Amino acid sequence: MSVVSLLQQMHDSEFGTALRESLYMFPLIEGIHLIGLALSVGLIIVTDLRLIGGFLKEVPVADVLKQLRPWLLAGFVITFVTGILLLWAEGPRMWAIPVFPIKLVLIVLAGLNAIWFEYKYGRTVHDWGAHVHFPKGAKLAGWVSLVSWSAVVVCGRLIPYLEATQH
Amino acid sequence: MSTESLFKELQNSSLSQSIGQLDSITGAFAQLFHIAGFLLILTAVLLVNLRLIGLGLNKQTIPNLAKATKPLVIYGLVLLLFSGLFTFLPSATLYYPNPAFWLKIYLFVFALIIQFTLYRKVTSVEAPNRILAGLTAVLSITLWFGVAFAGRAIGFLN
Repeated sequence: MSVVSLLQQMHDSEFGTALRESLYMFPLIEGIHLIGLALSVGLIIVTDLRLIGGFLKEVPVADVLKQLRPWLLAGFVITFVTGILLLWAEGPRMWAIPVFPIKLVLIVLAGLNAIWFEYKYGRTVHDWGAHVHFPKGAKLAGWVSLVSWSAVVVCGRLIPYLEATQH
Repeated sequence: MSTESLFKELQNSSLSQSIGQLDSITGAFAQLFHIAGFLLILTAVLLVNLRLIGLGLNKQTIPNLAKATKPLVIYGLVLLLFSGLFTFLPSATLYYPNPAFWLKIYLFVFALIIQFTLYRKVTSVEAPNRILAGLTAVLSITLWFGVAFAGRAIGFLN
Protein backbone atom coordinates (compact mmCIF):
# COMPACT_ATOMS: atom_id res chain seq x y z
CA MET A 1 0.00 0.00 0.00
CA SER A 2 1.38 3.41 -0.91
CA VAL A 3 1.68 6.24 1.59
CA VAL A 4 -0.95 8.25 -0.27
CA SER A 5 -3.55 5.47 -0.23
CA LEU A 6 -2.87 4.77 3.47
CA LEU A 7 -3.32 8.47 4.27
CA GLN A 8 -6.47 8.53 2.14
CA GLN A 9 -7.89 5.55 4.04
CA MET A 10 -7.14 7.22 7.37
CA HIS A 11 -8.68 10.44 6.07
CA ASP A 12 -11.86 8.67 4.92
CA SER A 13 -12.24 6.61 8.09
CA GLU A 14 -14.97 7.50 10.56
CA PHE A 15 -12.39 8.62 13.10
CA GLY A 16 -10.51 10.81 10.60
CA THR A 17 -13.71 12.44 9.41
CA ALA A 18 -14.95 13.08 12.97
CA LEU A 19 -11.62 14.68 13.90
CA ARG A 20 -11.55 16.90 10.84
CA GLU A 21 -15.12 18.03 11.17
CA SER A 22 -15.05 18.63 14.91
CA LEU A 23 -15.34 22.32 15.72
CA TYR A 24 -13.17 22.17 18.82
CA MET A 25 -11.13 18.95 18.70
CA PHE A 26 -9.04 19.79 15.66
CA PRO A 27 -7.94 23.30 16.80
CA LEU A 28 -7.42 21.91 20.33
CA ILE A 29 -5.16 19.11 19.07
CA GLU A 30 -3.22 21.57 16.91
CA GLY A 31 -2.81 23.90 19.89
CA ILE A 32 -1.51 21.06 22.06
CA HIS A 33 0.82 20.00 19.22
CA LEU A 34 2.22 23.54 19.23
CA ILE A 35 2.69 24.08 22.97
CA GLY A 36 4.01 20.52 23.37
CA LEU A 37 7.00 21.85 21.40
CA ALA A 38 8.15 23.83 24.44
CA LEU A 39 8.57 20.55 26.34
CA SER A 40 9.92 18.40 23.52
CA VAL A 41 11.96 20.55 21.14
CA GLY A 42 12.48 23.38 23.67
CA LEU A 43 14.04 21.15 26.30
CA ILE A 44 16.03 19.10 23.78
CA ILE A 45 17.54 22.37 22.53
CA VAL A 46 18.55 23.12 26.13
CA THR A 47 20.41 19.79 26.29
CA ASP A 48 21.93 20.38 22.83
CA LEU A 49 23.21 23.80 23.88
CA ARG A 50 24.68 22.24 27.03
CA LEU A 51 26.48 19.62 24.91
CA ILE A 52 27.80 22.25 22.52
CA GLY A 53 28.94 24.27 25.51
CA GLY A 54 26.91 27.43 25.20
CA PHE A 55 24.39 27.18 28.03
CA LEU A 56 24.19 26.18 31.72
CA LYS A 57 27.94 25.49 31.75
CA GLU A 58 28.04 25.17 35.53
CA VAL A 59 25.50 22.30 35.54
CA PRO A 60 27.02 18.82 34.99
CA VAL A 61 25.89 17.53 31.59
CA ALA A 62 24.76 14.24 33.20
CA ASP A 63 22.36 16.20 35.43
CA VAL A 64 20.91 18.12 32.50
CA LEU A 65 20.35 14.91 30.53
CA LYS A 66 18.95 12.92 33.45
CA GLN A 67 16.74 15.55 35.08
CA LEU A 68 15.17 16.85 31.90
CA ARG A 69 14.69 13.43 30.32
CA PRO A 70 11.22 12.61 31.78
CA TRP A 71 9.87 16.03 30.73
CA LEU A 72 11.44 15.78 27.34
CA LEU A 73 10.06 12.31 26.71
CA ALA A 74 6.60 13.37 27.94
CA GLY A 75 6.84 16.32 25.54
CA PHE A 76 7.71 14.05 22.62
CA VAL A 77 4.83 11.69 23.45
CA ILE A 78 2.44 14.69 23.41
CA THR A 79 3.90 16.08 20.18
CA PHE A 80 3.91 12.71 18.38
CA VAL A 81 0.43 11.62 19.46
CA THR A 82 -1.13 14.97 18.50
CA GLY A 83 0.90 14.96 15.25
CA ILE A 84 -0.43 11.52 14.30
CA LEU A 85 -3.99 12.65 15.09
CA LEU A 86 -3.54 15.69 12.84
CA LEU A 87 -2.17 13.47 10.09
CA TRP A 88 -5.13 11.11 10.53
CA ALA A 89 -7.53 13.96 9.88
CA GLU A 90 -5.64 15.86 7.17
CA GLY A 91 -3.10 13.34 5.77
CA PRO A 92 -3.60 13.71 2.00
CA ARG A 93 -3.56 17.52 2.22
CA MET A 94 -0.41 17.48 4.38
CA TRP A 95 1.36 15.08 2.03
CA ALA A 96 0.71 17.42 -0.90
CA ILE A 97 2.65 20.22 0.80
CA PRO A 98 6.34 19.75 -0.16
CA VAL A 99 7.76 20.66 3.25
CA PHE A 100 5.80 17.90 5.01
CA PRO A 101 7.83 14.92 3.68
CA ILE A 102 10.99 16.98 4.41
CA LYS A 103 9.78 17.42 7.98
CA LEU A 104 9.31 13.65 8.34
CA VAL A 105 12.81 12.93 6.99
CA LEU A 106 14.28 15.45 9.44
CA ILE A 107 12.40 13.83 12.36
CA VAL A 108 13.84 10.43 11.39
CA LEU A 109 17.32 11.97 11.14
CA ALA A 110 16.97 13.62 14.55
CA GLY A 111 15.65 10.36 16.04
CA LEU A 112 18.53 8.30 14.64
CA ASN A 113 20.98 10.89 15.94
CA ALA A 114 19.44 10.62 19.44
CA ILE A 115 19.65 6.81 19.35
CA TRP A 116 23.26 6.96 18.20
CA PHE A 117 24.11 9.44 20.97
CA GLU A 118 22.45 7.26 23.64
CA TYR A 119 24.22 4.14 22.39
CA LYS A 120 27.66 5.73 22.05
CA TYR A 121 27.75 8.29 24.85
CA GLY A 122 24.64 7.93 27.02
CA ARG A 123 25.98 5.28 29.41
CA THR A 124 29.39 6.86 29.88
CA VAL A 125 28.22 10.44 30.38
CA HIS A 126 29.45 10.46 33.99
CA ASP A 127 33.02 9.85 32.74
CA TRP A 128 33.33 12.22 29.78
CA GLY A 129 30.88 14.75 31.23
CA ALA A 130 33.35 15.49 34.04
CA HIS A 131 35.99 16.75 31.58
CA VAL A 132 36.19 20.32 30.36
CA HIS A 133 36.22 19.21 26.71
CA PHE A 134 33.54 16.77 25.62
CA PRO A 135 34.19 14.11 22.95
CA LYS A 136 33.85 15.49 19.44
CA GLY A 137 31.13 12.93 18.63
CA ALA A 138 28.99 14.06 21.57
CA LYS A 139 29.29 17.69 20.51
CA LEU A 140 28.51 16.76 16.92
CA ALA A 141 25.38 14.93 18.11
CA GLY A 142 24.39 18.15 19.91
CA TRP A 143 24.81 20.17 16.72
CA VAL A 144 22.95 17.65 14.55
CA SER A 145 20.11 17.58 17.06
CA LEU A 146 19.96 21.39 17.33
CA VAL A 147 19.95 21.94 13.58
CA SER A 148 17.57 19.10 12.70
CA TRP A 149 14.98 19.90 15.39
CA SER A 150 15.09 23.60 14.50
CA ALA A 151 14.53 22.66 10.87
CA VAL A 152 11.62 20.41 11.92
CA VAL A 153 9.98 23.41 13.63
CA VAL A 154 10.62 25.62 10.59
CA CYS A 155 9.03 23.03 8.26
CA GLY A 156 6.17 22.54 10.72
CA ARG A 157 5.39 26.26 10.83
CA LEU A 158 5.56 26.50 7.06
CA ILE A 159 2.87 23.81 6.64
CA PRO A 160 -0.13 26.01 7.61
CA TYR A 161 1.58 29.01 5.99
CA LEU A 162 1.99 27.29 2.62
CA GLU A 163 -1.45 25.75 2.95
CA ALA A 164 -2.99 29.20 3.44
CA THR A 165 -1.11 30.74 0.51
CA GLN A 166 -1.90 27.80 -1.81
CA HIS A 167 -5.66 28.10 -1.43
CA MET B 1 -10.42 57.90 19.26
CA SER B 2 -11.99 54.45 19.45
CA THR B 3 -9.83 51.34 19.38
CA GLU B 4 -11.29 50.37 16.02
CA SER B 5 -10.34 53.66 14.40
CA LEU B 6 -6.91 53.46 16.02
CA PHE B 7 -6.45 50.06 14.36
CA LYS B 8 -7.53 51.60 11.04
CA GLU B 9 -5.02 54.42 11.49
CA LEU B 10 -2.30 51.90 12.30
CA GLN B 11 -3.06 49.84 9.24
CA ASN B 12 -3.08 52.94 7.02
CA SER B 13 0.22 54.31 8.35
CA SER B 14 3.07 54.49 5.88
CA LEU B 15 5.09 51.92 7.87
CA SER B 16 2.24 49.39 7.73
CA GLN B 17 1.72 50.07 4.03
CA SER B 18 5.38 49.46 3.27
CA ILE B 19 5.37 46.21 5.28
CA GLY B 20 2.21 45.13 3.46
CA GLN B 21 3.92 45.56 0.10
CA LEU B 22 6.77 43.17 0.95
CA ASP B 23 6.62 39.72 -0.63
CA SER B 24 5.26 36.62 1.08
CA ILE B 25 8.75 35.24 1.85
CA THR B 26 9.24 38.12 4.28
CA GLY B 27 5.90 37.21 5.86
CA ALA B 28 7.02 33.60 6.21
CA PHE B 29 10.23 34.74 7.92
CA ALA B 30 8.21 36.86 10.35
CA GLN B 31 6.20 33.74 11.25
CA LEU B 32 9.38 31.74 11.77
CA PHE B 33 10.90 34.42 14.02
CA HIS B 34 7.61 34.53 15.93
CA ILE B 35 7.69 30.81 16.67
CA ALA B 36 11.42 30.98 17.52
CA GLY B 37 10.72 33.76 20.02
CA PHE B 38 7.82 31.81 21.47
CA LEU B 39 9.97 28.68 21.88
CA LEU B 40 12.76 30.64 23.59
CA ILE B 41 10.43 32.20 26.15
CA LEU B 42 8.38 29.09 26.83
CA THR B 43 11.44 26.90 27.25
CA ALA B 44 13.19 29.38 29.56
CA VAL B 45 10.08 29.90 31.68
CA LEU B 46 9.42 26.15 31.75
CA LEU B 47 12.95 25.36 32.98
CA VAL B 48 12.68 27.82 35.86
CA ASN B 49 9.09 26.96 36.75
CA LEU B 50 9.83 23.24 36.87
CA ARG B 51 12.64 24.09 39.28
CA LEU B 52 10.24 26.20 41.37
CA ILE B 53 7.98 23.20 41.91
CA GLY B 54 11.00 21.01 42.62
CA LEU B 55 10.79 18.89 39.47
CA GLY B 56 13.49 20.25 37.20
CA LEU B 57 17.19 20.94 37.48
CA ASN B 58 17.09 20.58 41.25
CA LYS B 59 20.82 20.79 41.90
CA GLN B 60 20.82 24.33 40.59
CA THR B 61 19.82 27.24 42.80
CA ILE B 62 16.70 29.08 41.63
CA PRO B 63 18.48 32.47 41.20
CA ASN B 64 21.24 30.82 39.11
CA LEU B 65 18.76 29.19 36.79
CA ALA B 66 16.71 32.38 36.50
CA LYS B 67 19.87 34.31 35.66
CA ALA B 68 21.02 31.78 33.04
CA THR B 69 17.64 31.76 31.31
CA LYS B 70 17.07 35.53 31.44
CA PRO B 71 18.79 36.22 28.08
CA LEU B 72 16.51 33.63 26.43
CA VAL B 73 13.46 35.48 27.78
CA ILE B 74 14.76 38.86 26.61
CA TYR B 75 15.79 37.66 23.13
CA GLY B 76 12.52 35.76 22.87
CA LEU B 77 10.51 38.86 23.77
CA VAL B 78 12.36 41.02 21.24
CA LEU B 79 11.76 38.43 18.50
CA LEU B 80 8.10 38.05 19.48
CA LEU B 81 7.41 41.77 19.57
CA PHE B 82 9.07 42.66 16.27
CA SER B 83 7.72 39.70 14.31
CA GLY B 84 4.32 40.15 15.96
CA LEU B 85 4.09 43.84 15.02
CA PHE B 86 5.33 43.02 11.54
CA THR B 87 2.45 40.57 11.07
CA PHE B 88 -0.15 42.68 12.88
CA LEU B 89 0.39 46.18 11.43
CA PRO B 90 -0.54 45.61 7.76
CA SER B 91 -3.71 43.70 8.76
CA ALA B 92 -4.70 45.42 12.02
CA THR B 93 -8.39 45.70 11.08
CA LEU B 94 -8.49 41.96 10.37
CA TYR B 95 -7.39 41.26 13.94
CA TYR B 96 -9.74 43.76 15.57
CA PRO B 97 -12.90 41.59 15.50
CA ASN B 98 -11.00 38.37 16.37
CA PRO B 99 -11.71 37.32 20.01
CA ALA B 100 -8.62 35.05 20.08
CA PHE B 101 -6.43 38.06 19.24
CA TRP B 102 -7.78 40.00 22.22
CA LEU B 103 -7.45 36.99 24.50
CA LYS B 104 -3.83 36.68 23.39
CA ILE B 105 -3.14 40.36 24.07
CA TYR B 106 -4.73 40.27 27.55
CA LEU B 107 -2.90 37.06 28.48
CA PHE B 108 0.37 38.47 27.11
CA VAL B 109 0.09 41.67 29.15
CA PHE B 110 -0.82 39.68 32.27
CA ALA B 111 2.06 37.24 31.64
CA LEU B 112 4.49 40.17 31.29
CA ILE B 113 3.27 41.75 34.52
CA ILE B 114 3.73 38.47 36.41
CA GLN B 115 7.12 37.92 34.72
CA PHE B 116 8.53 41.23 35.91
CA THR B 117 6.92 41.29 39.36
CA LEU B 118 6.01 38.02 41.11
CA TYR B 119 8.23 35.71 39.01
CA ARG B 120 11.20 38.04 39.30
CA LYS B 121 10.74 38.34 43.10
CA VAL B 122 10.25 34.61 43.74
CA THR B 123 13.21 33.58 41.55
CA SER B 124 15.57 36.05 43.22
CA VAL B 125 15.83 34.05 46.46
CA GLU B 126 17.33 30.60 46.97
CA ALA B 127 14.52 29.21 49.08
CA PRO B 128 11.24 31.02 48.36
CA ASN B 129 8.07 30.15 50.25
CA ARG B 130 7.01 26.79 48.76
CA ILE B 131 3.37 27.68 48.31
CA LEU B 132 4.21 31.02 46.70
CA ALA B 133 6.78 29.33 44.43
CA GLY B 134 4.22 26.70 43.37
CA LEU B 135 1.54 29.29 42.70
CA THR B 136 3.94 31.45 40.69
CA ALA B 137 5.00 28.46 38.59
CA VAL B 138 1.43 27.40 37.83
CA LEU B 139 0.36 30.97 37.04
CA SER B 140 3.38 31.68 34.85
CA ILE B 141 3.13 28.41 32.87
CA THR B 142 -0.64 28.79 32.42
CA LEU B 143 -0.31 32.37 31.18
CA TRP B 144 2.56 31.80 28.74
CA PHE B 145 1.07 28.58 27.35
CA GLY B 146 -2.26 30.41 27.16
CA VAL B 147 -0.67 33.16 25.05
CA ALA B 148 0.64 30.55 22.59
CA PHE B 149 -2.66 28.68 22.52
CA ALA B 150 -4.69 31.85 21.92
CA GLY B 151 -2.15 32.82 19.25
CA ARG B 152 -2.76 29.59 17.37
CA ALA B 153 -6.51 30.10 17.71
CA ILE B 154 -6.30 33.45 15.85
CA GLY B 155 -5.72 31.60 12.59
CA PHE B 156 -8.75 29.37 13.14
CA LEU B 157 -11.09 32.30 13.78
CA ASN B 158 -9.85 34.61 11.03
